[in-house]
Amino acid sequence: MTKHEIECEQALRQVFEYIDHVLDDTERAAMEHHLHTCQSCYSRVEFEGRLKAKLGELKKYDADPTARERIKKLLESF
Amino acid sequence: MGISRQAFEDQALALLGSLSRVARRLTANPADAEDLVAETVARAWRALDSLKTEVAFRAWIFSILHNTFVSELRRADARPRLVSVECDEAEEEEVQFSIFEQMHQPFLLWFSNPEQAFLDKLLREDLERALASLPEHHRVVVVLSDLEELTYGEIAEALGIPVGTVRSRLARARGALQKILWQQAREYGLDAVAPASREGSDGGTDAPRQAAAGAIVPKEKGLIP
Repeated sequence: MTKHEIECEQALRQVFEYIDHVLDDTERAAMEHHLHTCQSCYSRVEFEGRLKAKLGELKKYDADPTARERIKKLLESF
Repeated sequence: MGISRQAFEDQALALLGSLSRVARRLTANPADAEDLVAETVARAWRALDSLKTEVAFRAWIFSILHNTFVSELRRADARPRLVSVECDEAEEEEVQFSIFEQMHQPFLLWFSNPEQAFLDKLLREDLERALASLPEHHRVVVVLSDLEELTYGEIAEALGIPVGTVRSRLARARGALQKILWQQAREYGLDAVAPASREGSDGGTDAPRQAAAGAIVPKEKGLIP
């Protein structure tokens, strides 16, 4: 194993940081190398990424802010 | 003053949707959410000197929103619908719940993919209900991260906690959310709701209530223990 290779235990610890794009370039490369070789970790990342995306879609259904006119008047009063 | 009056107005109006969404999920009440956003903008204007650069505006105004929410909670904490925002990280579960670990069956991949099927059947109503069930300190990190796409650094700034705490709290919050989704699945999955009634309703706004009630229905035999 080279210094850039990681095993499942470390990959699983980094799943959320990977899907949140907070790993540095070296960590990300090591993670992606592992994901290319490990079906189970790949499936885990795919699952967590899809769940995060589904949560992100919730905002599409929120109504427009009803407070827009109130906030505009408030800003004008400053 | 860190930015001009015009820049403040532009930024505040540009972020109004985002502030309103977070406020709604913090207060669980549209009228309270509107008041919270208005109070946030008013406090932000008065505190404009504390804004260092325009780049930091989003994290800065979310920190004011969160502080305003917390102070309102503390002021009115006798009201029964309000929940505590206090949390003790050390007392929380170290082992995070994972739906994937509950469902993934590597030796059955050729036959089915139950965890992906679970996601396919997950409706907006399931997620909203689970999100609303989370304690506030968990809900707010999930909302800021996964709905509003703030960076860990911005969330740290908004909540007044270290980035490392954002990382660990977000992991716990996601585990807690998955545990609620799993419990909902077990609760509703045991009642027969025709899967056909759910087809094509993923993310829809008008799904029948009874379909929403059975929204997560991994009905394949053996899927739920």
